[in-house]
Amino acid sequence: MIDDNKIIEALEKKLMTFGGNAKTQNVGTVTKNTDGVIIATGLSRAFMGEKVVFQDGNAGMVLNLDEDSASIILLDEASKIKEGDTLKTTGETLSVEVSEELLGRVIDPLGNPLDARSRIKKGKKMPLEKIAPGVVQREPVSSPLKTGIKTIDAMFPIGRGQRELIIGDRQTGKTAIVIDTIINQKFNKKPVICIYVAVGQKRSTIAQVIDRLSSENALSYSIVVSASASDQASLQYLAPYAGCAIAEYFLEKGKDVLVVFDDLTKHAWAYRQISLVLRRPAGREAYPGDVFYLHSRLLERSVKLNKENGGGSITALPIIETQANDISAYIPTNVISITDGQIYLQTDLFNAGIRPAVNVGQSVSRVGSAAQTPTIKSVSGKLKLELAQYSSLAAFAQFGSELDAATQKQLDRGRRLTEILKQPQFTPLTEDLEVLSIYAVTSGLMDDVPIENFQRFEKEMHEFAKKNYQKVLEELSTGEKPTEQTLKQISKLVGEFKKRFE
Amino acid sequence: MNKHIVDKLILRSYKDNYLDEKTVNKIASLLNKQDLKTYINGLKLEEMKKCLIVSSPVDNQNLDEFRKLFPNKKIVLKKDTSLMLGVRVIDNDIVHEFTLKSSFDKILNYIEHNYD
Repeated sequence: MIDDNKIIEALEKKLMTFGGNAKTQNVGTVTKNTDGVIIATGLSRAFMGEKVVFQDGNAGMVLNLDEDSASIILLDEASKIKEGDTLKTTGETLSVEVSEELLGRVIDPLGNPLDARSRIKKGKKMPLEKIAPGVVQREPVSSPLKTGIKTIDAMFPIGRGQRELIIGDRQTGKTAIVIDTIINQKFNKKPVICIYVAVGQKRSTIAQVIDRLSSENALSYSIVVSASASDQASLQYLAPYAGCAIAEYFLEKGKDVLVVFDDLTKHAWAYRQISLVLRRPAGREAYPGDVFYLHSRLLERSVKLNKENGGGSITALPIIETQANDISAYIPTNVISITDGQIYLQTDLFNAGIRPAVNVGQSVSRVGSAAQTPTIKSVSGKLKLELAQYSSLAAFAQFGSELDAATQKQLDRGRRLTEILKQPQFTPLTEDLEVLSIYAVTSGLMDDVPIENFQRFEKEMHEFAKKNYQKVLEELSTGEKPTEQTLKQISKLVGEFKKRFE
Repeated sequence: MNKHIVDKLILRSYKDNYLDEKTVNKIASLLNKQDLKTYINGLKLEEMKKCLIVSSPVDNQNLDEFRKLFPNKKIVLKKDTSLMLGVRVIDNDIVHEFTLKSSFDKILNYIEHNYD
């Protein structure tokens, strides 16, 4: 509760300034209103990206400054604004008010609540556009951000502060991966704050994501920034920057943050729409010339700060939707070149029942291996190579020619590896269980288990280990390289369980 | 017609800092509808640049100081009782507020932004 005297004191201070300094405003007049873009004359002192306010209270942002007019994108409904209306500059760039109260909430890119819950108290103003931290403030990615997905944690590990692209056609499980990653953060010792930015998606899809996060108790450490397909293109354009601004608030407090941009293809579409209405020259695929900078300046803000600067991190998981598996299109190649690796999901694999449908050959994590714990590194060393060899051999095996014993063995191992890496949705695993599963296959302990029983075998083995080999699991969760003794214990565990398994 | 040509025509429409009716009518008769619209808009903007609007809640506002400060501008006095006290000076697209109403607005804004 605020002290009454303090309020009056503040008012008195304000009154003291009356007559002292004049308020100077830069005003303009609306000359045109087309498709959410306003052309206004006047505004001679406006600057790029400045927030302007119309006479009816609507807000906008300056995006073009011409010789005697300015182009403004509207952040509210455009229909009310007509020719001759006045507007004024505010001297501020767009910002979002952030506080801890945002956790568990669903907001729009301007910080207004969308979840029909209580009003959000005002917090610190964080600018939507900000220059990314410089090299002096940064340090290399060194600690892992566990996704709980065996394929990713073993072969394409993501580090805190990394930018890992998730790319694939529609319906290949891109959002499922990020949702699993968010859910998995509840198992972390050091909590990670998750921000899910939905750009240009159906409201029903966003509602499903929120519902899932809520039912998995993951909403308490998450924030959802929503700019759905029915919102203005300007809001869709601003949403990822708002997500990043919120992340920077927690970064300043030394926390680790995960930001998911779902998805940047629609973000590029929104920006293309705005640019075309602003009559900016269109380039390849009608995107404006600065579409690369649109994404590079956003993703450059993901960072791992050094100890002197708080040691926090922002990990970015941008999503790109491809058309007919074409990763060489304009936006996909741009974002691939900006990020520190990509997880490529393929429809064929998805339809073949391999879920997550990760294409091992075309996925990569450029910096994440430095962040991988020795535990998982020790068991997943040859995994990627073996799987890549299996993929190429599998193609030959289809011809039906006779194969030598070594090739047969390699194919069999590949099939088993593929099978063990399958994982149902919304069931992220802790590191100890991931290591247990992968080691059981790579060491040949599961060679006599029929492949069709793998999923059930793995699930029941996990339960068995939790009940009877808790100490082994604890040792595997330390992050240290497993000792000979621990590996022997795992062999014993698997052997013992095999006898019980029917 | 090129916008630069229209701009030149606007400049030529003035004689001794005042609009010359003869020149304006002559130019207007030679322009097509689209160019005439651009020309009129340009004239309006130019007029705004040459004009200084002083809004005050009283009728007998002394304008001598303004004439000294803006010797080349046409000073227009407008009565606006909503300002309560003080003056508002509009110089083209810049508005200088020295009014009590503006101070109250500032306080209101301050309260809205700082107290929930």
